[in-house]
Amino acid sequence: MRQLPVLPLAFLLLGAPAAVAAPVVVQVQAADGTPLPGAVVTLTMPGVAPPVPRGPYVMKQQNIAFAPHVLVVPVGASVSFPNLDRVRHHVYSFSAPKRFDLKLYGREDDRSIAFDRPGAVALGCNIHDAMSGVVFVTATPYAAVTDADGRVRMDAGAGRGVLAVWHPSIRAAGNTLSQPATVAGSGLATVLRLRR
Amino acid sequence: MIAPVPAFRSLRTRITVLYAGLFTLGLVALAITAQLTIRQGARRTAAAELAASGTVYDRLWQVRARSLANAADVVARDFGFRSAVATHDVATIASALDSLRERAEVPRAVLIDTDGGVIGDAGALRGAMPAVAATVERDTVIAHDGRVYRVVTAPVLAPLEIGRIAFIVPLGDREMAALEKLSAIPLNATIVTRRRGAWSDGATSVPLAVPPSRVATLDTADGQSFAMLKPLPGPDGRAQAALLLSYPMARAMEAYRSIQVGLVLAGIAWLLAIVLGSGRLARGIARPIAALDRAARRLEDGERTEVAIETEDEIGRLARSFNRMSHGIKEREERITHLAFHDGLTDLPNRTFFHQSLDQAVARAGRTGEELAVLCLDLDGFKGINDTLGHPVGDGLLRRVARLLDEMAEDAMVARLGGDEFAIVVAEAEDRGRARRLAQAILDALIEPLDVAGHVLPIGTSIGIALFPADGTSAETLVKNADLALYRAKQDGRGGYRFFEPSLDEAARRRRQIETDLRIAIRSGQLQLHFQPIVAAGDARIKGFEALLRWPHSERGFIPPVEFVPVAEETGLIVAIGEWVLHEACRVASRWPEDIRVAVNVSPIQFRAPGFRNVVLQALARSGLSPNRLEIEITESVFLDGQDHVQQMLHMLRAMGVRVALDDFGTGYSSLSYLRSFPFDKIKIDRSFVTNIADDPSAAAIVKAIVDLATALEMETTAEGVENDGQLAQLEQQGCSTLQGFLFGRPLTIDAATDLLRAARAAAA
Repeated sequence: MRQLPVLPLAFLLLGAPAAVAAPVVVQVQAADGTPLPGAVVTLTMPGVAPPVPRGPYVMKQQNIAFAPHVLVVPVGASVSFPNLDRVRHHVYSFSAPKRFDLKLYGREDDRSIAFDRPGAVALGCNIHDAMSGVVFVTATPYAAVTDADGRVRMDAGAGRGVLAVWHPSIRAAGNTLSQPATVAGSGLATVLRLRR
Repeated sequence: MIAPVPAFRSLRTRITVLYAGLFTLGLVALAITAQLTIRQGARRTAAAELAASGTVYDRLWQVRARSLANAADVVARDFGFRSAVATHDVATIASALDSLRERAEVPRAVLIDTDGGVIGDAGALRGAMPAVAATVERDTVIAHDGRVYRVVTAPVLAPLEIGRIAFIVPLGDREMAALEKLSAIPLNATIVTRRRGAWSDGATSVPLAVPPSRVATLDTADGQSFAMLKPLPGPDGRAQAALLLSYPMARAMEAYRSIQVGLVLAGIAWLLAIVLGSGRLARGIARPIAALDRAARRLEDGERTEVAIETEDEIGRLARSFNRMSHGIKEREERITHLAFHDGLTDLPNRTFFHQSLDQAVARAGRTGEELAVLCLDLDGFKGINDTLGHPVGDGLLRRVARLLDEMAEDAMVARLGGDEFAIVVAEAEDRGRARRLAQAILDALIEPLDVAGHVLPIGTSIGIALFPADGTSAETLVKNADLALYRAKQDGRGGYRFFEPSLDEAARRRRQIETDLRIAIRSGQLQLHFQPIVAAGDARIKGFEALLRWPHSERGFIPPVEFVPVAEETGLIVAIGEWVLHEACRVASRWPEDIRVAVNVSPIQFRAPGFRNVVLQALARSGLSPNRLEIEITESVFLDGQDHVQQMLHMLRAMGVRVALDDFGTGYSSLSYLRSFPFDKIKIDRSFVTNIADDPSAAAIVKAIVDLATALEMETTAEGVENDGQLAQLEQQGCSTLQGFLFGRPLTIDAATDLLRAARAAAA
């Protein structure tokens, strides 16, 4: 089993109270150093209450693709899967946090699924193999998807926690790598490079 | 010629070796070129085939990979199977894999989940599965425990990868055989793995450095081979095994074997043909040359030889020239030999040949006990004929005689020894009379005058005979003794033959001694003149002296003239002696009173010698002696060789005023015609008549006749050898005018003679 350790670059500890928001900026780089978009970065801090679903959460099927490609939702959120294409889709997921199967449906159908366990739920279409999407169910309020530059920006409270990155290309259990992290009062800025 | 080719002694070998060598070189070069070309061709073909096979193999590999992947994909995409994998439904998964295995006809199919768990029997490769799950490649080759497996995977996507189906196919002989079958050439396909720093399958080892997918030459289990190595990708991208396509060179060359064998066979046949052909050519050239060489050697050894002319080319012409040359040499040689051994004039064997033949005959006769006779003969008066009639007539005569002798002595050898000398060797008959008969026959034949070139020539011969072995056992002795016998025969009067006797040899030796001594005597002035007084009858007054030659030999005392004069005559010394005598006598006489004469004996040889007249003139002139005081005494024998010349000389002497006396009258021929032919001044009566005159009436009668004859012819007479008074009385009675003998005085020395004259003068006065 390959170890894909996170490369810690720098942590700035500001010693501010947890209630005070501190900016956390994390850039995720692939093994070759290029920014990795579409990865989910989470920061789990003890004592922080899970987020409250505020909906609505929508995972569209548009142009034979899931949109957005990665949707981060809090635990307990209900996500609707509207079909904006003229063809039908058969959305399914065999992922452990949420196994479901939306049999063939068209535009007229708008179905919702509730995600009550945290974890990455890989979405596929049984008709269109190329369609791939993820509903990332998170129990921490600090979770975001990296942008085109592989970056996420979050405001978190200072304190110690675990910084985790999820991405399908990560060859590890649950496609996730994690490491302890301390957020200073001034925030945290770090670069995580995946190792082959 | 060509460089220092090993020195062949035979031209033929040289040509053969040279040609065969050159052609062999050419052949070898050709063979090498052919071999290289074939090798290159084979290599190119093999390389092309290998490359093609490599390409085929690549495609096959891909096709297989695709078919396996397709088979796995069908299952991997099955919604139910994905659902089973996602829910980790092992039983469903295993049954699905089983049916997949059968459908795809692969020995093993397993599922590897994202956690590295393996469902299904991976066999020996169980441990390698996590690596397979981690690799991106869907088609890898794994070497494990000496065996090689191909692993083709298909991801199970939901839609993210939740596991992998892996087909495990052992790569073994079967797979390779299938691959070999597809190739156009009979190549070997084997799988090699990394072992101890090389690609190896246990039998063949290939260095890791060999570049992939390129044709190289390697040492394989099948010997040298063309080979191509195709590394097979492993799970981590590093090849753990490789496919080795090899093509043994021997097999590649097999296709060309028939060409090579054909080339070798053709080469051998070609070489044989060249050796035979050049050998034949060389023999054609060398054999006639060798024949010429042998013939030349034989010619060198003196053999008569010719070579066969076989062709009309240069060699043929050379042979023809050689034959002509050989013939010419032989002919000239024979002519030279003939000339060397034959007399050019008569074509009879010459002296050399005669001696050789006689040597051989003597040797042969010595063995067989035969007897031989050697006849030597010469022609009487031949010199006179030559002198008077010229050499052509003389030569003609010699040829006639030679022919005559040759005819008469049929089975004998006749040779001309030189001049008018001939010799004959004849085998003696039982009665030992053959030589005698032959000699007599020759004498009889030559007694008749011969007609030569219009001249009728009276010719005679004398013959001396010596016998083998009685008279000598060597050719030299025999000839010498026959010569002595001939000499004796001539001495005894010509026209006869004589056999050799030992006394002849003794006499000859003495003669030779005398000759030798005489020459010394002449040179050293040993000879002396003594003078015997000649007195007038009646008063015994000295009228003159006869000069007499005396030779007081330093060892043997006085040698009588009768002994040495003949030798002097034979050898011609008499001419010189006679000249000295004349000069000396004139010199001595010139001191005597005017009325005293001196008488000098002249030999017929001296008399006939050219220049005699001058000798007389010089003697007179030098001494100042009055010619009428010189009296030349000659004997009848001067007339024997012809009268004309003698007559001339006598008249010349007479004209000079010199007196001439006829000596020894009454002996010999005593031809009265001589007296008539020349008016001698005096006749000397031989002592043989004088000695007996007192007792023998006939002697007295002869003396009287001579004296009467001389008186009638108005010639003086001198009686020689008067020794007593009785003789003196008789002679005076007969009317002899002068006398000579011991009664009046012995021969005296010069001084004694001078004293005697002085005393006589004193007595008279």
